Amino acid sequence: MFLTRSEYDRGVNTFSPEGRLFQVEYAIEAIKLGSTAIGLKTNEGVVLAVEKRVTSSLIEAGSIEKIMEVDKHIACAMSGLIADSKTLIDKARVEAQNHWFTYNENMGVEGVTQAVSNLALQFGDDDPDPGAMSRPFGVALLFAGVDEKGPRLFHMDPSGTFIQYDGKAIGSGSEGAQQALQEVYHKSMTLKEACKAALTILKQVMEEKLNSTNVEMCTVTPQNLFRMFTKEELEDIIREI
Amino acid sequence: MASASVLSEYKAPISAHFSPYDFNGGTVLAIAGNDFALIATDTRLSQGFAIHSRECPKTFTLTNNTILGCCGFHGDVLTLTKTLAARLQIFEKDHNKPMPTASIAAMLSTILYYRRFFPYYTHNVVAGLDEEGKGCVYSFDPVGCYEKESFRAKGSASAMLQPLLDNQIGGKNQNGYTAQSLTSTQCVALVKDVFTSAAERDIYTGDNIIISVVNKDGIKSEKFPLRRD
Repeated sequence: MFLTRSEYDRGVNTFSPEGRLFQVEYAIEAIKLGSTAIGLKTNEGVVLAVEKRVTSSLIEAGSIEKIMEVDKHIACAMSGLIADSKTLIDKARVEAQNHWFTYNENMGVEGVTQAVSNLALQFGDDDPDPGAMSRPFGVALLFAGVDEKGPRLFHMDPSGTFIQYDGKAIGSGSEGAQQALQEVYHKSMTLKEACKAALTILKQVMEEKLNSTNVEMCTVTPQNLFRMFTKEELEDIIREI
Repeated sequence: MASASVLSEYKAPISAHFSPYDFNGGTVLAIAGNDFALIATDTRLSQGFAIHSRECPKTFTLTNNTILGCCGFHGDVLTLTKTLAARLQIFEKDHNKPMPTASIAAMLSTILYYRRFFPYYTHNVVAGLDEEGKGCVYSFDPVGCYEKESFRAKGSASAMLQPLLDNQIGGKNQNGYTAQSLTSTQCVALVKDVFTSAAERDIYTGDNIIISVVNKDGIKSEKFPLRRD
């Protein structure tokens, strides 16, 4: 199957005769190698939970960061080539601050996602803009935040496509996790239930045994905005599941 | 062959004096009420003793609930309002909502400050409804310093109008009197009075005023004649 593509999967700016951009499709495949990340939206706020692959006991688990703060009211979880996300997160942070500087209001979650997705498509061989790359980004992002439309969750893939979700899983365990999310999700879910559900699902799809050092979780709520869970808070929830 | 030039034939270089600004007069006045805001501007466009136009309003509709009063150098007024219109449209497309009044004020401040060392020679007042539907007025200096106020006069006759507003709306310099918030009808009547007085003394203010009132139903404008000499 892959052999038939061989002529048209070299250049990032060449369509195949069937109208496909293989490098972009391969980048989307790269996400499926990444660790699992889950986002779940409730009326009270949004929760993001990610798995951290602590492959050696000598790894300082705290140095693996897969949830980042974009602004006080927006968080971002990622899966895939984490290094690629640095450029995107930088862009998101700059856009959010520029928006605040110019308009004296918080930037909307959709606006931030849109800005980042613009960068995601600026790849090509020549004349790169600052921040743009010669290949598609190999990372998928989950933007969680609160704005005037309430709590919101967006998923963006390497093609720059972004879609709003109530619940979304990305990464290696995404297929099973997405299925599980669909089963557990309901409109009147509380944030506490959502946190518990996110960790339960993560536990099901993770290869290692879930504990407070190999997961990261955060919430974004209208009251407390971006909040990372401490090790103790994680342990409290893990004990319940 | 060439005759020797004499020192007395040399003339000092002619220095073309570049004066990038002019003053085209005009006065703007803005008042914020509980559930409305208004801007009144005269319609005279002048330069020295010449009147270029008697029908040149200086009020600009920015969104469904925000208006701008802008006067000073007419060339800068045109460029600034055109820039604002473009930025507002881009914002609306980018963020799927019209720009809120407070954000317009913040953006205008940055637009003005980006010209810190070759400023737009414009006096600006933004009026409109805030997110809660309350009236608000933001006044600006030409380089972007801005403040939220409840009433403000800018431009040619501002020094005459402002003390009157301080007294009549702010309740200043009156013993045993506390200011009460005025209705939109009261404000419109007051605006007509103060502009009529200003037009008596200021040759850069006259012909007509356009009073634009913003409330939850939208923007309504009315015209009122001033003296034309």
